[in-house]
Amino acid sequence: MDPVEVKSLSKTFSVKEGPLFRKSVKTVTALDGVSFSVKKGEIFGLLGPNGAGKTTTIKTVCTLIQPTSGEVYVNGHNVAREAQKARQDLGVMLTGDRTLYWKLTGRENLEYFAALYHMDRSAAKERIEYLLKLVGLDERQNTLVENYSTGMRIRLSFVKAVLHQAPVILLDEPTMSLDPQSARLIREVIQDLRKEGHSILLTTHYMEEADQLSDRVAVIDHGKIIAMAPPSELKETVLKSEVIEIEAQNINPQIVEKIRGIPTISEVVSSIQDASSLKGVITVHATDGKQVIPEMLGVLVKGGVEISNVKIATPTLEDVFISLTGRALRD
Amino acid sequence: MTSLGETLDPLRAIFRKQIRHLFRYPGEVIFLFIIPYFLTALVVAMGVSVGGTNAFGNFASQTGSSLNPFVFLMIGSGVWMISWLILESIGTSLRDEQIKGTLEQNFLAPINRFLLLVGTALSQIVITSLMFAGIIVASVLLLEPRGAPGLILAFGILMIGLLPLFGLGFVFAGLVVRFKEPYAFTQAMNVLFAVVTGTFYNVTVLPAWVRYVSAAVPMTIVIQDMRLAVESINLLIGAFGSIFILLTMGIVYPFLGYSLFKQFERRAKVSGDLSKY
Repeated sequence: MDPVEVKSLSKTFSVKEGPLFRKSVKTVTALDGVSFSVKKGEIFGLLGPNGAGKTTTIKTVCTLIQPTSGEVYVNGHNVAREAQKARQDLGVMLTGDRTLYWKLTGRENLEYFAALYHMDRSAAKERIEYLLKLVGLDERQNTLVENYSTGMRIRLSFVKAVLHQAPVILLDEPTMSLDPQSARLIREVIQDLRKEGHSILLTTHYMEEADQLSDRVAVIDHGKIIAMAPPSELKETVLKSEVIEIEAQNINPQIVEKIRGIPTISEVVSSIQDASSLKGVITVHATDGKQVIPEMLGVLVKGGVEISNVKIATPTLEDVFISLTGRALRD
Repeated sequence: MTSLGETLDPLRAIFRKQIRHLFRYPGEVIFLFIIPYFLTALVVAMGVSVGGTNAFGNFASQTGSSLNPFVFLMIGSGVWMISWLILESIGTSLRDEQIKGTLEQNFLAPINRFLLLVGTALSQIVITSLMFAGIIVASVLLLEPRGAPGLILAFGILMIGLLPLFGLGFVFAGLVVRFKEPYAFTQAMNVLFAVVTGTFYNVTVLPAWVRYVSAAVPMTIVIQDMRLAVESINLLIGAFGSIFILLTMGIVYPFLGYSLFKQFERRAKVSGDLSKY
């Protein structure tokens, strides 16, 4: 049995909507038949837009949410029936920096959680010292967390997750809000953990991170896994078409629809970065590659779009997501 | 099978965390000690304004107590403040942790939920003892020195009374996890308890049907017996049966409270309410 096994996992929530005294109950499907496993010494990336079901998956694996149906095993322990044993084998980092006690120091936080995970006190002390140094927090270990920067809190939260050297580590957006240097450091530590044989389930909406770290990636959308393979294999699926990125101003939906009408174009997605100038990027997947460019640029110029740059891009996991769903991950 | 170390280490950690937290908000600690004095002053002022020059005499005849009225009231308001703190800290502190995001972190740990609640409750013993010294011992030594020997017994009664209070705290904690609306509930209960437990008077002045409610609230017995212990140890011996009722509550209430907490927690896991606020 693999360290993490998720079998036909489904989760529905009842959500109350509407004004007071006239609330109606709506059923929302967060997960719909999700199945995957994470092997020993593997980094498994769960990739998807906000609300796709990544965090619900993590929270179900770590016993915080009870599934509506399906089964989850952590190191052979069923999370519904043997929750406590499963939790001992899990190191979890949930999203955000509010997972720590702000009125305790960094060290006090780690000592507290080390005790909750039954760590031997002297071993915990050594491990805390090692990890704080590793993530560059050793000099601020006796400062109250409320005086930490967001990046420092996230690093401390990461340390908390890997503190007791659990065989399975769940990381929900571990580098969110981190500066590039800290994010790189965390990614290096994650790779070291893989080498040590930890199984890591990672959620992220940073394409490059999922690409760089994951041995396998599952693309999740609307609670369903729509593709699962190593990143290179997933990218191969979009290699049949070329990816053209056009940076421009004055991008409007009508023009995007017109481009979609060109026969050799399979997908078009636009993302606006500046709403006032309608500046952004149009990503196009075309089967006849460069030959479509003149026709496409003609349509854009005629429609009043001001083009600043056109490039043929190497497919990324973002392109995989676009080709699978017709939407960008940010949508 | 969980070893003793696996139970004691987390318990110690939870206890230390709670104490550290409490003393890193010094204003709140000061508030806990000051409020009973203000409440007592308020009630005395109201009593004098209503009862006039014979207010203290009337008070003695109505309560049947020979205690200095200030001491009588300070015992009531002190116990009420302690019960407020315990119900708040077990129930509302979970809510605070839910809002901060740390509740999930605790629930991720491989420990029994009971330890989380007990660790929090244990830390309250320390602060309760300090409040006992700062509110009740201080007022007895100052205004009713003849009652000093009874203070040890009064402290013992208070400690026994904490057990059922913890049980009520567990119920509050469960309500917090499930309904996420602790403040309205705990505030309403605290005010209700002030009325029915005889904080500022003897419960005999209450209508008979209210006294049935009073009898179910452990603080009623605690306040009554602590006053008797300070007034005269012989009087307390006469009311010895009430200690057994308190002990029984101390077994039944935590059991019921924890059962309810587990039930609310199960429902919160199904609805995903643990992380919602």
